[in-house]
Amino acid sequence: MLLRGFAALVVLVCSTSALAQDGAATARPDLSGYWELRFDSFNVPRASLTTAAQGALEMRRSRDQDAIRGCVNVGMPAVMDDRGVLDIRQSPSVVGMVARSPSSTRYIYTDGRKHPDAEELEGTTNGHSIGRWQAETLVVDTVGFNERGITAIPGGGYRTARSHLTESYRLAASGDQLTVTFTWADPTVFRTPHSYTFRYYKVRAIPEPRVLNCIQNEADRARFLTERPAPARF
Amino acid sequence: MTRRPIAAGMVMSVLFATPLAHAQEKKGAVPAAEMSGLWILQDPGSGSWAEWFDNVPKPQLQPDIVADNQRMAASEAAGNVVNRMPRTAACPVGNLPMMMASSPPLNIVASRDEVLIGAESNRGRFVYTDGRAHRDVKNPSYVPTGFGDSIGHWEGDTLVVDTVGFAPRVCDSRRPVMLVPGGGRAKDTTHLVERFRLAGPDELSVTFTWEDSTVFLAPHTYSYTYKRVPEGIPIENNEDPAAAQPDRQYTTTKAEK
Repeated sequence: MLLRGFAALVVLVCSTSALAQDGAATARPDLSGYWELRFDSFNVPRASLTTAAQGALEMRRSRDQDAIRGCVNVGMPAVMDDRGVLDIRQSPSVVGMVARSPSSTRYIYTDGRKHPDAEELEGTTNGHSIGRWQAETLVVDTVGFNERGITAIPGGGYRTARSHLTESYRLAASGDQLTVTFTWADPTVFRTPHSYTFRYYKVRAIPEPRVLNCIQNEADRARFLTERPAPARF
Repeated sequence: MTRRPIAAGMVMSVLFATPLAHAQEKKGAVPAAEMSGLWILQDPGSGSWAEWFDNVPKPQLQPDIVADNQRMAASEAAGNVVNRMPRTAACPVGNLPMMMASSPPLNIVASRDEVLIGAESNRGRFVYTDGRAHRDVKNPSYVPTGFGDSIGHWEGDTLVVDTVGFAPRVCDSRRPVMLVPGGGRAKDTTHLVERFRLAGPDELSVTFTWEDSTVFLAPHTYSYTYKRVPEGIPIENNEDPAAAQPDRQYTTTKAEK
């Protein structure tokens, strides 16, 4: 009798604990965590570029280099391809993403809102992102970019004010991996929408300090970024 | 008869072992209130930053801090109003009291284990709510910032944030210290406790309590009220850093000469 009562109490305690831990708000997958890219994280085919885009690549590369030198917010898609750990935080209404490189926090609104009207939307390096859950997948739609920061897109091409990005986020490997597929559409850059996939691995800690102190007028840094490397000689 | 104490002991171990296991996993509690969103500070509209910033209950300050405030005020009255200190990699990032008092809305994402607090699109504070302790801010490997090291926990519907590890100085030739509203300081010896609470669905109250025996004669407390900006669009600072600070243009490199 006593043991039966004990068993019931154990079940009750465990159930209560599970509810408290998971909560009603986390019925959806929780993407929160520290995520890093590794050597086998990239499935990036070559993009099919318009003739105009092919002709503009060198100019864009030079502008991207200026942005790095000037400590301008790197923006999308560079924040998702950061050399450091990406911090993703999810609340019931918004997902925040913080990269280590100089960048704005990326916000993905999941509260059902629409994009603002175009005339209200001032372009940013990250654009304006809204997301909705389709079963276990978070599908994100982003418009409203500007052309500042690092505009290069993996596989070729670059971000413009006309770019439209769709992403899908899905956890795998019991939550230890996050697969993100990016699809860029922009008639001025791509002949057909350009898709590629990153696989992020969850890590338990993030290096401190969280913010890099980018100094745009540091002489040695500027020299490193702008001077043509001399060939190594043995 | 002998089974009863054993069973009772087992029950007690289950009851107490469960929360302990969570603490070991460093999992935070589900936020008790959804504070995520864009929040704009309710400034009475004085039009003067200094008047607004210092519009808090007057703190009791140490005499040397009072004297230092008078010295800085005299220096500014004499025209020393431009920061001429170069920004270097050694300059600490961020300024918590100024960020929390500034006009750009706070942008909060409150997840279970970490709360992000930015100013509009800009990055800002990271508040760990996963049960961890403060980093060892006395360790030489700790890099102090103007945001300090923040950990938080929920007390009912209130998020209590504890911050230490501020930078001792900031890179500013006019005021080489991080000012706290009312004339105080935030520095390496300072301890801040903030209490974030939703006073209504669209109203956020934050109460700040600063303690530092080298600055204050008694804890210095004041509160701010923020209003939610529904569906607000965070604005990004699009100024070119070099253009915004013409005295800090890029160094011209040998290749460009």
